[in-house]
Amino acid sequence: MGKVFTLGTFDRFALKIGEGAFNGETIVSLMVMGIIVILSFVIYFVFRHLDPTKPEKGFALFIALFFEKIDNMANDLMGKKYDGFGGYIIGLTMYIGLCFLIALTGLPAPLTHLGVTLSIALCTFLLIHGNAARANKLSYFHRYIEPLPFLLPINLLSMWAPLLSLSLRLFGNALSGFTIMGVLYWALGKVSYSIFGGFIGCGLRSVLVAPIITPILHCYFDLFSGLIQTLIFIMLTMINVSLEDPDPNLV
Amino acid sequence: MNTIGAAIAVFTGFGSGIGEGLVVAKAMEGMARNPEVAGTLRTNMILGCALVETTGIYGLLIGILCLFVG
Repeated sequence: MGKVFTLGTFDRFALKIGEGAFNGETIVSLMVMGIIVILSFVIYFVFRHLDPTKPEKGFALFIALFFEKIDNMANDLMGKKYDGFGGYIIGLTMYIGLCFLIALTGLPAPLTHLGVTLSIALCTFLLIHGNAARANKLSYFHRYIEPLPFLLPINLLSMWAPLLSLSLRLFGNALSGFTIMGVLYWALGKVSYSIFGGFIGCGLRSVLVAPIITPILHCYFDLFSGLIQTLIFIMLTMINVSLEDPDPNLV
Repeated sequence: MNTIGAAIAVFTGFGSGIGEGLVVAKAMEGMARNPEVAGTLRTNMILGCALVETTGIYGLLIGILCLFVG
């Protein structure tokens, strides 16, 4: 099994702050951020020169449909009170979706680094508690002594549950897909070597079987599972933030 | 020892399998009762499946951690 892990898969579990901070996943995550920034400018200029009297087509139509869909979803789930959240949700969708998609190019998958998923979940976590404090004013602190005052330490511990569950859900999904694909590539390399090892030169003989079998699995693990996890992450974000509202029906 | 730990951790798949089966069974029932909302039900079913699957994924994660890190 040694061959699979020469990619350095499993020395990334630690949250490295300091000298090891800029490993492959962090750099790819920064690349994704760069792509999103460039895309935002492109979208801005495309929509600035658009004629509002004609219907959009092509790229503009796709972007308009995507933004409208997610904005409507945010409005439906969170109500009019959280009107400004559409931007955050769209940014989150683009970031997580692109992080899953960029792994298809062969770059290291950013979401297999716990630091990346933990920072995304931390944004949501801060939003949850910030909005709870804003909506409930001083009675926000009452939840920590909710049934009985001596349960304060337990409540303080359970405060961190959304952070852990959000980050580990994304991390576990990305990492399990990545590990299964890694093991499969290793095994198919061996199979290919045992079939073609005798009569094909050294470069090609261990990569001939994998391209036949792996694309469909990439479709499942990266595209399907990844995009569904993106949807789940944004839905949980919206639900968790809007749950803290004391009177949610008052929109 | 690590291998036994990983095997125990992967047993979380038991619960998440039952849960996912319940989700799909109820969704099928709903689809059979009124087929006109089958599209919405299917979307929500896939979403619910992915949400239920999370516990299994936690187990898999701990199994991988047991095998390769600990």
